[in-house]
Amino acid sequence: MSRRIKSLQLRLTVELAALFFVASCLAVGGLIYSASLTAGSLADRELGLRAEDLARYVSLDENGKPRLELPPPLKEAYSAAPQQSVFAIRDTDGHLIEASTPEIGALTARWPQADTEPSYFRISKFGPSERDYSGVSIRLDSTAGPLSVLVAEASGSNQLVHTILREFVFDIAWYVPPFVALALLVAALSVRRGLLPLRAASAQASAIEPASIGLRLPEADVPAEALPLVIAVNRALDRLEQGFVIQRRFTANAAHELRTPLTIITARLDTLEGNGQLAALREEVARMNRLVEQLLCVARLDSVAPDVSSPVDLHQLAEEVVGSMAHLALGACRTIALTGADHSFLVTGNAAAIADALRNLIENALAHTATGTEVIVEVGPDGSISIQDSGPGIPAEDRPHIFERFWRGKGVRASGAGLGLAIVMEIVRAHGASITVNDCVPRGARFDLRFRTA
Amino acid sequence: MRLLVIEDEDRLSGILKSKLGDTGFTVDIARSAADASAALELINYDAAILDLGLPDGDGLAVLTAARRAGKGLPILILTARDAVEDRVAGLNAGADDYLTKPFAIAELIARIKALLRRPGGVLGMTLEAGNVRLDTVARELTIGGIPARLSRRELAILEQMMRRFGRIVPKAVLEEKLYGIDEEPDSNPIPVHIHHVRRQLETAGASLLIHTIRGVGYILAETKA
Repeated sequence: MSRRIKSLQLRLTVELAALFFVASCLAVGGLIYSASLTAGSLADRELGLRAEDLARYVSLDENGKPRLELPPPLKEAYSAAPQQSVFAIRDTDGHLIEASTPEIGALTARWPQADTEPSYFRISKFGPSERDYSGVSIRLDSTAGPLSVLVAEASGSNQLVHTILREFVFDIAWYVPPFVALALLVAALSVRRGLLPLRAASAQASAIEPASIGLRLPEADVPAEALPLVIAVNRALDRLEQGFVIQRRFTANAAHELRTPLTIITARLDTLEGNGQLAALREEVARMNRLVEQLLCVARLDSVAPDVSSPVDLHQLAEEVVGSMAHLALGACRTIALTGADHSFLVTGNAAAIADALRNLIENALAHTATGTEVIVEVGPDGSISIQDSGPGIPAEDRPHIFERFWRGKGVRASGAGLGLAIVMEIVRAHGASITVNDCVPRGARFDLRFRTA
Repeated sequence: MRLLVIEDEDRLSGILKSKLGDTGFTVDIARSAADASAALELINYDAAILDLGLPDGDGLAVLTAARRAGKGLPILILTARDAVEDRVAGLNAGADDYLTKPFAIAELIARIKALLRRPGGVLGMTLEAGNVRLDTVARELTIGGIPARLSRRELAILEQMMRRFGRIVPKAVLEEKLYGIDEEPDSNPIPVHIHHVRRQLETAGASLLIHTIRGVGYILAETKA
C-alpha cells in the first residue's frame, strides 16, 4: 500500500479498514440489488394477479358486448388514485373494452395484441403527471372470451422495495459499523501483542556493547515472520563475537610473545657485568618493557571494556600503588608520598584499571618533577585523587593534546612514547570519571581525578 | 638449597638456573604442570618459582595440589602484569609472593631469599643486607663487622625491613609487629623509632638507608655509591 506508512500496526489497520469498507459497500449494494430484484418480481406477480382480477370481472352484457364490472372495493381502489394504477382491456379484435384513463386507452389502441406469455414494459413520462410506469400486458381468457389486458403501476412509488430496504437498514445494517470497529480493534491489538517480543528484542539489542558481547536477542515468542531477522542478527553477533575473541586472543598472544623475549633480554643483561654502555642498554630495555606494557594496555582497553562496577577502596589502592612504585622513585632520586584522608574510601570502578591509571600518572609525574623533589598523591574525601609534581607544569596550549595517543610535549625528554596519559584517559572514560589538569603552587602540574562514589 | 623452577620457556628457565646457581641454589626445572607435580611429590624443595601460564594446564592447579598435599614450601608465582585476577587467585591459592613479567633477576633472587628468611624458612637465622648482618635468633647486629646496639623494638623494626629489603614496609605492618613484642605500653610512635634506627645506621657507617614514603611506610635500600 503506502510506502510512507512505516508502522506495521498502522498499515495493517489501514488496510483492514479499507477492506472492511469495500466489503461493507459490496454487501450493502448486493443486498439492495437483490432486494430490488425480489421487489421487482413481487411487483411483477402483483401486476399479473391484478390483470387476472380484471379479466375475471369482464363479462358479456345483455347486448352481447364484453363489459368490466368491478366490485365496489376494487373500483374504489382504482378510482382513488387514477394516475397511480392504470389498466386497459381490449378484446381480440383490438376494441377497447375498458380503460382506467383515456390516455392509457389511446396508448394501448396502437399496441399489438398481447400474448398468453406476459410481456413486461416500461413507459416513460406518460400521462398528465408525466410519470414513469412499469406494467405487464397479457392475453387472458374470460367469460367474454380472450382478452388483452394491460396493467401498469407508476414507478417511484414502489413501497415494497422501500420497505425491504428500510427493514434491512434498521434490522441488519446497523451492526455492520460496530462489527467493523470491533474487528479493527482486535486486529490492532493482536498486531500489537504479536510485536511485543520484537520490542523486547530491541531493548535487548540496545544493551549490547563491547563489554556485553555475549548477549543475544531472545528468539522465543518472536513472531514467525520476524524470526529469520532475529536469527540472522544473532548469527551476525556470533560472528562479531568471534572477531572480538580473536582480537582478545591476539592481544593475549602478543603479550606473551613480546614479554617472554623481553624478560629474557632483561635477565641476560642482568647477568652481564660491564661498563656504562650496559647501563644504557638496560635503561633502553626497561623503556621497551614499559612501552610494550602500555601498548598492550591500550589494545586491551580497545578490545575489552573493563568491568567498572566493583567497589574499590581508593585509599588502599593508592597506598598499594604508591608503595609499589616507591623504589622506582628512589631509584630516580625522587620521593613519593601519599597524603590526604587516612581511611578507606569506596568508589565504583575496576581496581586494576584505576591502579593502571595511577601508575601511569605517577610515572609521568616522576619523569617531570625535579631531582630530589617529591611526587604527592592525595586522596580526597569525595572520591577524588590527585597527583602533583613540582616540575615545569603543563603549558595551557598543550593541555588539549596531552591525552592524545603518541603526543609528546616540545622540549620534553624523549623518555616515553606518549601513551601513558592516553591510557589514563581511556580508563577515566570507561569509569565515567573526570580528569582535570591544573597548576601546582608554586610550580608543577596537578592531575585531579574524580570517581563515582560507591 | 634446592629450588624448583616451573617454567615452560626454555631460554628463561636456563637463565634462571644459571643465575640462581651462581647465588648458591641447586635448581631443577619443570616444563609442565605434570612434571612440576611429579617433582614436588618426590623431592622436598626449599622453595618453588611457578609460572602461572603453563602449556599443559593451569599453574594454579599445581599450586592448589601442592598445598592440598600439605607442602608448606614458599612458592613465588610469575604472572603477566595485566593478569590481576591470576595474581589474586594465586595468592588466594597459597602463593607466598608474586612477580610480574618482565622482572629483573636480582629482584627475583631478593624475593626468593626474603621468602626463605621468613620465620620457619630455611634462611631464617641470619639476615644480611649491605654491610649489615642481623642474627634473628641471638638478636645480634653487626654493621661493617662491628657489633652495634639497638633497643628490642628498634631491632624488630630493622628485622622487618631487612626481611623486605628494597620493598615497601607499610606502617601498619611495623605497628603490628611492635604491638606483639611485649605488653609494655609504648609511648613512642613508629617515626621516633625509625629516627633512632636511622641515626644508629648512619653513625655506624652502614651502607643502608631508610627512606620514608609519607603516608605509606618505609623502604630499606642501599646508599648510592
